[in-house]
Amino acid sequence: MKIGILSKRNKMFTAEMKKYLESEGHIVELYTLENLNINQSLLKNDFYVLKSKHMFFLYAGYFLDGNRIPVIPNVNLSYKHKNRIEAHYLIKQAGLLGPNIYMGMNDILKAKLKKQDYPFIQKPLMGSGSAGIKLISSSKDLKSKDGGVIYLEKFIQGVHYLSYFIGDKVCVYEKTPLSNEHSQVKAIEMTQDLIDITLQWKNYYNMLFGHLDIVRDEKTNKLNVVDPGPFPEFIHWNCSVDPVKEVCRLILNEYAKF
Amino acid sequence: MITLGLIIDEYHLEKKALEFMKYMQDKAKINLYVEERYLLDFSNVNFKEDIFVVKAKGDLVINLAKLIDRETHIPIINSPMSIWLCYNRFLNSTLLKKIGIRVPDFSLNPIGVEPPFKNYIVKNIRDQRNYAFTPLIKEEEGLFNVQDERALIEAQGGKENYQYLYYQQFINSEWEYKVYCIGEDLFFYKQIPVLINPDKMKSRKEIKEIPELSEIAFKALKAVGLKIASIDFLQSENGEFYLTDINSSPNFDYIQNGAKKVGDYLIRMAKV
Repeated sequence: MKIGILSKRNKMFTAEMKKYLESEGHIVELYTLENLNINQSLLKNDFYVLKSKHMFFLYAGYFLDGNRIPVIPNVNLSYKHKNRIEAHYLIKQAGLLGPNIYMGMNDILKAKLKKQDYPFIQKPLMGSGSAGIKLISSSKDLKSKDGGVIYLEKFIQGVHYLSYFIGDKVCVYEKTPLSNEHSQVKAIEMTQDLIDITLQWKNYYNMLFGHLDIVRDEKTNKLNVVDPGPFPEFIHWNCSVDPVKEVCRLILNEYAKF
Repeated sequence: MITLGLIIDEYHLEKKALEFMKYMQDKAKINLYVEERYLLDFSNVNFKEDIFVVKAKGDLVINLAKLIDRETHIPIINSPMSIWLCYNRFLNSTLLKKIGIRVPDFSLNPIGVEPPFKNYIVKNIRDQRNYAFTPLIKEEEGLFNVQDERALIEAQGGKENYQYLYYQQFINSEWEYKVYCIGEDLFFYKQIPVLINPDKMKSRKEIKEIPELSEIAFKALKAVGLKIASIDFLQSENGEFYLTDINSSPNFDYIQNGAKKVGDYLIRMAKV
């Protein structure tokens, strides 16, 4: 088969996927922001893997969807992971807890949020992981990069986890608050509630793989989902299966259903 | 008397909503939700309005509309999804083409990579901000290319800095056709294309219904989910109409009794 991979990187997990799929006899072409032209030229492949959620890969995904070329994982679900408001509703609809969220101009947030409402996390409205995020301990920390609207999430004090899933296999690690997937994690003994919440998410959205950033609230002991992702790098994955092979196998199986 | 929530920004409030507010003053209680003045708390869904109308496209505006749309049963015109689709040119072109509406060929390319068609207009990818079309026209060796200054700023100088451009195939047309849509009612105008005469109102004239445009307009409105809109068309030399733009927040001051037409429609659509 002819497979396109939409990815901001041409290394790491993407490169390993390409190598594996080629070893299985497929023709694989990588599309990064260097060579991605979103037009009829994309229609030559049988299907696409949407590795990255950058806006132009999402546009490419919507374009391919519109032209009946399968894209895996689902484009609209990937967009909803990228848009923090949509992600908030994904968490809510799946019946899971998440932080309270707010939006406003800098001066309005400063005027209307009370001292006891802090701390918050300021995040880009479109984004995932830790890129561009910062802890807001008081109104003095609030700054808008472009003079526009600021997005805030209530900061939940507690233990932070990174939970991967591939199929029904779940791998959870403890992580440093506000750190990204590339930062160090600590192996832990997985508790059933962490596994349950991860599988609840996976099953609700019928996802093949992905990850969740989860916080156990130190006050309530309840688990909150603070950041979902549809296609991590699986850097720390050390559970029973090879993540590259398993992810590719799930993708090929999914394509067979189209 | 109904209660109407007007979700708006300072620009539209000052420049585009005065006639509407004046017409509605003794017909509805208007609660203003102004982007620059509002704290959007997603845990607060206590809205008492009978209807909301959205007259802007900023991020807070869209997400307040989303909150109301998801958490209440109050009608909201236009829906946040339809506004989002409208300002994302590439997405609405993709959708409209998919359902069989004739749109000019289009392409999203990294800067420096030409699209797979010769004559084109470079437009902004996300038509979300409040500014006018400023064309930079280049005509040489029989090729006609236009770049919207906004597109260049958006791609290279704005906060996005994403190094991509949206190309739309240029349709050479004697007239630009504009269809204003308020619910089931359509209003037809034509004007000399703004690339030829930037003063669009100078040549604009009301025309009789063109049934083909009505059919396309209703199909597009349904697909995008719009109740209030304006849609632009160009007509190629062989007589085919191309839908070139769809706008969720048109200025109804340009049509006769526009404020009344929109106001009366909103009153009819309110949930009371």
